[in-house]
Parts: sequence; structure tokens; C-alpha cells
Amino acid sequence: MKKSKESIFKSKLAWAVVAELLILLVAGILEPNFFHIEYNATTGMFYGSLIDIVNRSAEITIIAMGMTMVIALGGTDISVGALVAVAGAFALKLLRWDVTLYPTPGDYTIKPFILVILVPLLICTAMGLFNGVLIGKFKLQPIIATLILMVAGRGIAQIATNGKQFTTGYTPFRFIGQGSMFGLPFPIVITIVVCAAVMIFVRKTAFGTFVESVGVNPNASRVTGLKSDKIIMIVYTLTGFLSGVAGLIYSSRISSCDSNNAGVNYEMDAILAVVLGGTSMTGGKFSLVGTIIGSLIIRTITTLVYYFGITSESIMAFKAVIILIVIVIQSEPVGKWLATRQARRQKVGELRG
Amino acid sequence: MDKKKSNKLVNFVTNPKYLMVLATIGIFLVIYAAGIIMYGDKGFAKLRTFMMLFVDNAYIGISAVGMTMVLITGGIDLSVAAVASLTGMFIAYGTTVLGLDPVLCMAFAILVGVLLGLGMGALVTYLKIPPFVATLTGMFLARGVCSLISRESISINNELIDKMAGWKLYFMKYSGGEWVKIKPVAYINLNVVLFIVMIIIGTIILQKTRFGRNVYAVGGNEQSARLMGLPVDKTKMMVYGFNGFCSALAGIAYALYVKSGWNLALQGGELDVISAAVIGGVLLSGGVGYMIGTFFGVLLKAVIPSLITFNGTLSSWWGKIITGALVLLFVALQQIVMHGKLFKKKGTPHKKE
Repeated sequence: MKKSKESIFKSKLAWAVVAELLILLVAGILEPNFFHIEYNATTGMFYGSLIDIVNRSAEITIIAMGMTMVIALGGTDISVGALVAVAGAFALKLLRWDVTLYPTPGDYTIKPFILVILVPLLICTAMGLFNGVLIGKFKLQPIIATLILMVAGRGIAQIATNGKQFTTGYTPFRFIGQGSMFGLPFPIVITIVVCAAVMIFVRKTAFGTFVESVGVNPNASRVTGLKSDKIIMIVYTLTGFLSGVAGLIYSSRISSCDSNNAGVNYEMDAILAVVLGGTSMTGGKFSLVGTIIGSLIIRTITTLVYYFGITSESIMAFKAVIILIVIVIQSEPVGKWLATRQARRQKVGELRG
Repeated sequence: MDKKKSNKLVNFVTNPKYLMVLATIGIFLVIYAAGIIMYGDKGFAKLRTFMMLFVDNAYIGISAVGMTMVLITGGIDLSVAAVASLTGMFIAYGTTVLGLDPVLCMAFAILVGVLLGLGMGALVTYLKIPPFVATLTGMFLARGVCSLISRESISINNELIDKMAGWKLYFMKYSGGEWVKIKPVAYINLNVVLFIVMIIIGTIILQKTRFGRNVYAVGGNEQSARLMGLPVDKTKMMVYGFNGFCSALAGIAYALYVKSGWNLALQGGELDVISAAVIGGVLLSGGVGYMIGTFFGVLLKAVIPSLITFNGTLSSWWGKIITGALVLLFVALQQIVMHGKLFKKKGTPHKKE
């Protein structure tokens, strides 16, 4: 009995859930309508703050799925925000092709819709592979290897669209970010599918264990016969692909591309979601469920902060305070201190009988 | 005798320690020469164009001095641009809105910069938090506080600031019995003086002081440095504190340059600073790097946008792509120089950064 209580408190996932529930509780006290979900029969959609939180967290959740494994490998990928911009730019490029020939945005696409979806995903996957090759094969440091695409990616996106902002009214494309399925906004459906696919891939095969093994000790893993470089490459490629998916959702939400502002600070939010979810920045064990909750925590805080009428930029200060608390609790010396304290207490308890 | 001398030269050039710096200087000279050949008639060869490289990038250079030291210890600091932006905001808000003395505002900004640097240093040193995460928190905090102060750009209208920003040192030549300004007017301003003084101070600290040798020792191998009895923790704290000082100084230089404070100023500036240092031959894994390399790294990064401006037809976004390519080139070069070959079979630096 005592043991299970201990393990619950040691589990970082439990902490994340408790944190999310606490924030929701505060939200519920401040705004009694917060949990209210309404069904609109004419549009066939559910409406409510909770649905909105899940909907708006879709991009970060999807990227953070890949980022979790990147961080479990002991790396980081700071190029994801730029890849979001790249995906949007190429999708809109294919939808509008030549703005001088087709100047008015409308319900049409120049290139086939399948290309509009596939080409951006393919480009982002290739960019992820580029990161993976640099890190896995050439053993570059992850920060510097992904820095290259973070700097160059936005340049590529700008050149693809000639530095212009395209808008589109093409219905199937707008459906990705604005449509609904089973009464839920479509981004939620995509998120559920992506998360389920990644989880099945990672947990039902040995891949997740491989990633953790490489993250704990790359050399030992290599000696035991794991192809570390291949695992690293797969993880970064997957992250690139997922950034592409997020980029399509983002550009569909705003029905346009914005190479300057699309995906700015997404890398930070994704890393934050992973860290909040209990995956340690030093690599090793990771929790995909934790990451999803981490992403929801970020979005809930953002919504709550908006509710107070605080500007969107200042949210960063709140995020900073939250990360600070989380990383200090997670840090090794504090953990040791807590453990010794607990041990001492237990001893005292035993002595007292 | 002669052979000995040439041997010495060959040893100097092929020494991996200097090779990176020499490569940076070489590539800078090649690109600059190419610029003179291509756009010499448009005025690229003029002294004014050369001096503008300094004037326009002095703030990046000042920040890069601190960043170089942080990178040599094996750390990284993502907060520099946010701290610089915060400094600009302090000066703008203090002088324009509160009507305070600008010197007081600058002193306060530098104090805040140093304290933030020390705070992040403490997280890295004593709580063993990865520098990437610790400084990311600092970045969020600085940006958030910046936005809390004001969301709008505040212009600086202060006599002393105007005087400081307007101070120029002209190049003179002696002709016809009196000193006249060289035409077209080439000048250096206070920012450039600060930049060059900081580079000199940085060089002296790194090469001539005990503290500088400790910085290299910590970056080379922290464990060994600790076993040798070097003050590892103190050194790291001082390096982060110094970097905070440099960021605040860069913020002052930027405030003098644009004469305003804005919460979104210098977004992504930390990557400019890091890539300048990397292009200058500073090894991200720590232990290797020279101030003079960083100096030429800043110049090399500055000459590319200048060339694109002179070309006139290229999109300015090529600047970003070329910077990305340069980072890739130099990281590959580092890999070859430090490990003798591009493909490394044994060991992987993926884990540690």
C-alpha cells in the first residue's frame, strides 16, 4: 500500500496531470462556464472552452510527439518552427502557383490537391532527414545541426513565395484546420490519429526501447548491436514530417501562409510541452502521454492568461516562471535532496514505530 | 634556418587550434575581394562600405564576445537577444516615460543583465540544468517582462542619448597643410568603439589571465578541471555573469543604433550571435575558440547581406540561406579538423552538448 503511494508521487506523469487539473480548477472557479460544452445541431459541432483548448493545442501536440523522442535521445530540434513555415509556404505556392496569373484568391487550386498535401509533407520529411543525417551520420551536435535549418528554413519559405503572403479560399484545404468530423474540429481528429499512430509505432514495437537505450548511453547501445545512427535519423525524420503536418494545419487555420510569423517559438513550446510532461532533458525515459498533457497545460495557461486580459506576448513571463519551477523540481540536486529528506523521515517514522 | 622557419609557419597554419580562425579570415577576405571585383564600381571597395559593416553589426559583435566565452565553457546562452531587448526597453521606458536620467537607466539595465546572467549561471552550475533549458527560461522571462513594460515601440528622445548616438570619429588625412575628412565620409561611432574595446578585453581575459585559462580548462574537460582543483563552479558563474553584462551592453548599443525600445526587437538575434561565433571557429562542444575568430565571424556574417544589397536583384532572404550554408560549412570543417575525418565511427557527441 505504502509502496504504490510512493510510486504515484514519484511518477512525473502524475505531477503533470495534477498540475493540469489544478489549472482547470482555477479556471473553473474564475469562470463557471469554463467546462460548459454546447452542441450545435445545425453545424453538427461541439463548442466550448475545453474543445477550443484541445483544438488550439493540436500543432504543438503533433510536433511535441516527435520532439519527445528527440529529447529522449538527448538532443533537441530547434528547426521545427521554421519547418512549419516551410510547409505552409509550399502548400500555398501549389494552391495559387503564380499570383500574377491568378490574382484573386478563391475556391480553386492550380495544382492537384493531393500534391498540395504531399509535396509540403515530403519537403519537411526531407528536411527532417537532413537534420537526422547531420546528427546521426556526421555526429554534429543537435542544436547546431538544427540551427542550420532554423536559419535557412524561413529563407527557403520566403523564396518559395517570393516574400509574399498568399491567401486561399479552397474549401478542401480550409477543411484541414477549420472543418469538423464526428462533431469535433478536424485538427483534433488529426491529432488523435497522429498520436495513436506514433504511440503504436513506439510502444507496440521495440522502437521506443531502442530510443531510450540510445538516449541513456549511445556507445553502450551501439556495442549491444543497436544501429544508433539509424534510430537517430528515423526520429529526426519523423519530427520533420510531424512539423509538416502541423504546418498544414496552421496555414489552413489562417487560410494563408506567413513565412515570417508561422511557427515562431513553436520549438520552445514543443520543448516545454515535453519537459512539462516529465521527459528529462538529459535523455532516456520518455512519456508520450505526458507530452500530450504538457501541451494541454501550455494551452490551458494561455487561455487562462487571455481570460485575465494579459497580452499574448507577456505569456512568456508566465511560461518562464512555470518552466523554472518544473526544471528546478526535476533537477538532480533537488531530487537528491528530496530523496534524502524522505528517507530520513521514513527512518524517523520507523524509529517511532 | 630558412626551412625551420617555414616549418614553423606550416605548423602554425595546420595547427587545428588556429586552422578554424584562419579559415574564417580566409573566407572573409575571399568574399570581400569577390565583392570588390564584382561591385567595386558601385562603391563596394570604398572605406565607408567597410566601416558600415562595423556600424551595422556592432551590437551583434558585443554580444558575441560574451557568447564566445560561454560557448568555450561548453554552454550556450539563448537569452542574449531578449536581455538586449529588455535593456533597450529599460532605457526607452526610463528616459521617455519616467523621465529618468539615461545613465541611471543604463546602469540599472547592466545590473539586471548581470543578475539574470548570474541567475542562469546558478541554474546551470549548481542545479545541473542543461544550459539550453536554463537560458531558454531566461529568454522567456526577459521577453515576457519586456512585453509587460510595454507592447508598443517607445522612441528615445534624450539629449545625452542623442549625443552618444551622434558621436562620430572621422578618418582624417593630412593634405594641403591641414587635416581633412576622408571622402566619402568614413566614420566609426561609439558602438564600434565599444565593439572593438570588448573584443580586446575579451582577448586579454581569455589569453592573458588565470580566469581565461580556467575557462578553456572547464570547456576542455570539466571533470579533469575539477580534479585539478580549478574553481569550476566559480568560473562558470563568472562566465554567465560576464555574458549577461555583454548582452546588456549590446542592448545599449542597439538602443543607440535604433534609438527606440521595442518588446519584439532583435527576435532571433541569439541565433545571429551564436552563428557568428560558430562561423568564427568556436567549438560548440567547448574548449576551443578565439575572440579574433569571433571578430571575423561577425564580419563574415555582415558582409553577406551587404553583398546582397549591392547585387540588388537577389531576394534578401538569400542572406539567411547563405548564413545557414556557412554554418554548415564551418561545422563540417570543425568535424574534419577536430576528428580527422567527417565520418566518425567511435563515440558520439550526440549525448553531451
